Amino acid sequence: MNSAEELKYLLPNSVISVGVQTNKPLAVIRKEDLLTVAGKVKEMGFDSLSVITGVDRLDRIEVIYNLFSYKKKQNLALKVILDHKSPEVDSVTSIWKVADWLERETYDLVGVKFNGHPNLKRILLPEGWIGHPLMKDYDMSIEQFVTIGEDGEDIVSTDGSNLLRRR
Amino acid sequence: METETLLLNMGPVHPSTHGVLRFKLRMDGEIIRDCQIVVGYLHRGTEKLGEMKTYLQFIPYTDRLDYIAAMPNNYAYVRAVEELAGIEVPQRAEYIRVLVMELNRIINHLVMMGSLLLDLGGSTMIMYGFRERENALQLYEMLCGARMTFNYVKPGGVREDLPEGFMPKLDEFIKDMEKRIVDYEELVNGNEIFLMRTKNIGVIGAEEAINYGMTGPTLRGSGVDYDIRKVESYSIYSDLDFKACMRREGDSYARYLVRVDEMRESLHILRQIVDTIPEGKTVNQRYGMAPNTGAPSSVMSYFPRIFTPAEGEVYSRIEAPKGELGFFVASDGTTKPYRVKIRSPSFCNLVALPKMVVGLKIPDLIAAFGTIDIVLGDVDR
Repeated sequence: MNSAEELKYLLPNSVISVGVQTNKPLAVIRKEDLLTVAGKVKEMGFDSLSVITGVDRLDRIEVIYNLFSYKKKQNLALKVILDHKSPEVDSVTSIWKVADWLERETYDLVGVKFNGHPNLKRILLPEGWIGHPLMKDYDMSIEQFVTIGEDGEDIVSTDGSNLLRRR
Repeated sequence: METETLLLNMGPVHPSTHGVLRFKLRMDGEIIRDCQIVVGYLHRGTEKLGEMKTYLQFIPYTDRLDYIAAMPNNYAYVRAVEELAGIEVPQRAEYIRVLVMELNRIINHLVMMGSLLLDLGGSTMIMYGFRERENALQLYEMLCGARMTFNYVKPGGVREDLPEGFMPKLDEFIKDMEKRIVDYEELVNGNEIFLMRTKNIGVIGAEEAINYGMTGPTLRGSGVDYDIRKVESYSIYSDLDFKACMRREGDSYARYLVRVDEMRESLHILRQIVDTIPEGKTVNQRYGMAPNTGAPSSVMSYFPRIFTPAEGEVYSRIEAPKGELGFFVASDGTTKPYRVKIRSPSFCNLVALPKMVVGLKIPDLIAAFGTIDIVLGDVDR
């Protein structure tokens, strides 16, 4: 029995289906139960969260959590499927601290909102940037200019009026 | 006496931040009460570029992530694609891949040692480190013409076989480095000032380090005996004799020592490869037809430019010099990846830094930050 099947056995109502992510066990779970499942897999020994990936599948947004257990040397991937219009899911920051930055990155680039995150702000792009670049419908024709303001904060404009050389 | 805290900006342009990184420090006198890290100044949208390039066109972009050690980036991405498409790799190519990656690990640790010591006020080590690095870069130049951005690892093998005269030169390099590491240890390890600056600075325990997502030498400095080369034993690592270097103290000094030990282990691996590298093809023969001639070639590798793996997803990770480097690649059965996600070690290792430095002074922040060893190209992607 691999770790995804074990999870299905422990929480039959939260796990929708069990499969593989090429060579790692994968469990698709109900998005409402993410926190319960995350707590459970932490108990099962999955103490390390490797990465959170958001994928825009046009009709839905998938968020994939790749986990690893240092004790058992096992892999597990969790997947939640979110609504495309308003992707929202609970934050797992309380369980794995590294999720802080990983969730901010997913919010920044894919636009997934993580409820309960202590500081859900953009991380790689400046505050005020228009759109989430890794969405498939992101408009790349908009030019955006970024400068650093007096107090070190970012200023974004679409006409370049904040750039010194344009004046 | 009533005191109030002061907000201090460190960066984005500051010699000790190794690039464009900004700390927002809340200072109480000289003590750091809060540390916020601002990243993203070097964001180039590599993941979005991945969706717009074909599988082969994306390989040069991976060189620009961690530009100090680019070969593991090449390999990590190519390995993800190979796993996705089920491509076999001939044995000689695997040996060459491990050879170039371990050489890059030595380069990375030399640069890390040099810049750490420079940040702490000693300028000798960076001269020595860059002198040895130059020899290694010349080896790369012989191999693929490039010194830092290689584009050398290809699906199914490597781009070219080892050139004539490479092995004797590598042999010379290994013999030289074995002596040099002793010099470095004599120069740095017992230095009173260095010890005062790094011992008991930036301490983090094993459990906390795992929870904060630390990986690689940074994690092994906290007493977690864990190395992806051992656990997943990808490529030919299961046939090689080496050990995962580990220290228990969890401070900056321990993290530094882990790197010195790792250079030794990498040299040991290189030595084994020199002795045991098999003859044979350097590219999978299914793809290894030289263009136009139709004859299999062992010198030039040829991989079809248009290449479509079956639909699927893969997350593949390797032990890069800085930690766990992972590539998530999703294919929708077309010629371009549907999604490429890069799990970079520098990005995730930085999360723990505020935890390590609260309560210390600014010079200690530099010592702790230097031993986390980041490259901003890898953080911001």
